[in-house]
Amino acid sequence: MTAPIAPGASQEARDYLADVERELADLPAEERAALLEDLEQHLAALAEEGDDCPVVIRLGSPAAYAEELRAAAGLPAQRNVRPSPRRDEVRRLLARVEAHPLTDEVRRLWGELRPAWWVLRGYLLIALPCALADQWDFPVPAPLGSRVLGLLLVGGAVAGSVALGRRQLSPSNTRLLTVGGSVLALLSFVVAVGGTQSPSYDVGYATPVVYDQAVGDFPLVSRYGPVTDVLPYAADGTPLQGVLLYDQDGRPLQVGFQEWWADGCSRVLRQPLAADGVPVPHAFPQTYVLDPTGGGLDDPALCDLVTDRPEVSLPVFPATVATPTAAAPTPAAPTDTVPVPAVPTGVPGD
Amino acid sequence: MDASQLLKGVLDVAVLAVVRQADGYGYDVVRRLRTAGLEGVGDASVYGTLRRLYQAGALTSYVVPSDEGPHRKYYAINDRGRSVLEDSGKTWRTFVDAVDGLLDGAPA
Repeated sequence: MTAPIAPGASQEARDYLADVERELADLPAEERAALLEDLEQHLAALAEEGDDCPVVIRLGSPAAYAEELRAAAGLPAQRNVRPSPRRDEVRRLLARVEAHPLTDEVRRLWGELRPAWWVLRGYLLIALPCALADQWDFPVPAPLGSRVLGLLLVGGAVAGSVALGRRQLSPSNTRLLTVGGSVLALLSFVVAVGGTQSPSYDVGYATPVVYDQAVGDFPLVSRYGPVTDVLPYAADGTPLQGVLLYDQDGRPLQVGFQEWWADGCSRVLRQPLAADGVPVPHAFPQTYVLDPTGGGLDDPALCDLVTDRPEVSLPVFPATVATPTAAAPTPAAPTDTVPVPAVPTGVPGD
Repeated sequence: MDASQLLKGVLDVAVLAVVRQADGYGYDVVRRLRTAGLEGVGDASVYGTLRRLYQAGALTSYVVPSDEGPHRKYYAINDRGRSVLEDSGKTWRTFVDAVDGLLDGAPA
């Protein structure tokens, strides 16, 4: 029973009219309709005046308006307790959502998807307890270790669920079914999400991409992807050169070869040679020089002769601690040929 | 003294008097009452009063189509309304005279 609302009426006017209508809900329909018709015309007339004064300021709150209207019209005051303004607000918001065209769309879609939900509901009814009891051979529940039994139960539950869905139920039963279905869906969601997250190491979901990269060309992989260089610094921020790095088992740390550079020029790796002439792969940072052959593709003039280190954020240590640690890395032989941290240029980790 | 308290008692007379001058729709009556000096009159009170007087048979109503906006419901006074107004008018004058007399009386 909605009051007739002119199509051009503002949302504010509609809200006001709807609120007053609610306030008059206990009146006989005819009486209420007459009063609301007057109000609607009044609101339209106010709108025509074109002043920007909000309706609520102009006419007072819907409740006050209704009360005054009742008193002047000689109608009984409203008997039941007036709902709180907040509830009014919520109701108005709901009404607005309801009136939105998208709501209709969603409702229609939901109507079309209902049979799918019936099937899913039947499946979850069996699958969820089995999953919780770990009697589960995804996606087939295996109660008592039997997939056949699981399939039979799922078939029965789905048939029952669909039959239930097609039947017209009493409102109380419908509500019960809705609540039950919501709980089932929610629990399933929680189990599904929780299940894929915690035991992921066993299942093998753990970042398979990175794992694959950690072989072959990229023996070292960080959370950001393949590592092609390591840039050591002393505690005082001095960039270090020729630092030998080993892993937790004492094996030389190896990184991948960097193929792509910001200036587009190709480079070759020049690892320092040990006394026996064997290159040392774990001296960091790695040293790359421009490819002397050039491949005929690169114009040396366009290449960066020196590849700067990327800018790093160095921690600031307390002065007392910094003194001893800063003195420590002397054997690492810092060189002054290396430029101070500068603009990032396509160097590893970029 | 709050004029709105007084207004409640005389709104019937005021509304009937306004409509007797000329037929009017709700907002029109509200404006004419205000123009006449009853500025504190509430919109809802006027609409409620119009409705009650109509129900009581003191007013008739008719709808005037409007090109823009909704149709307007005009109220017109009828014979019953006129007699009600006459009676109420007499009561009002008697009342006002009495109060005037009290107010004009020399303070004790």
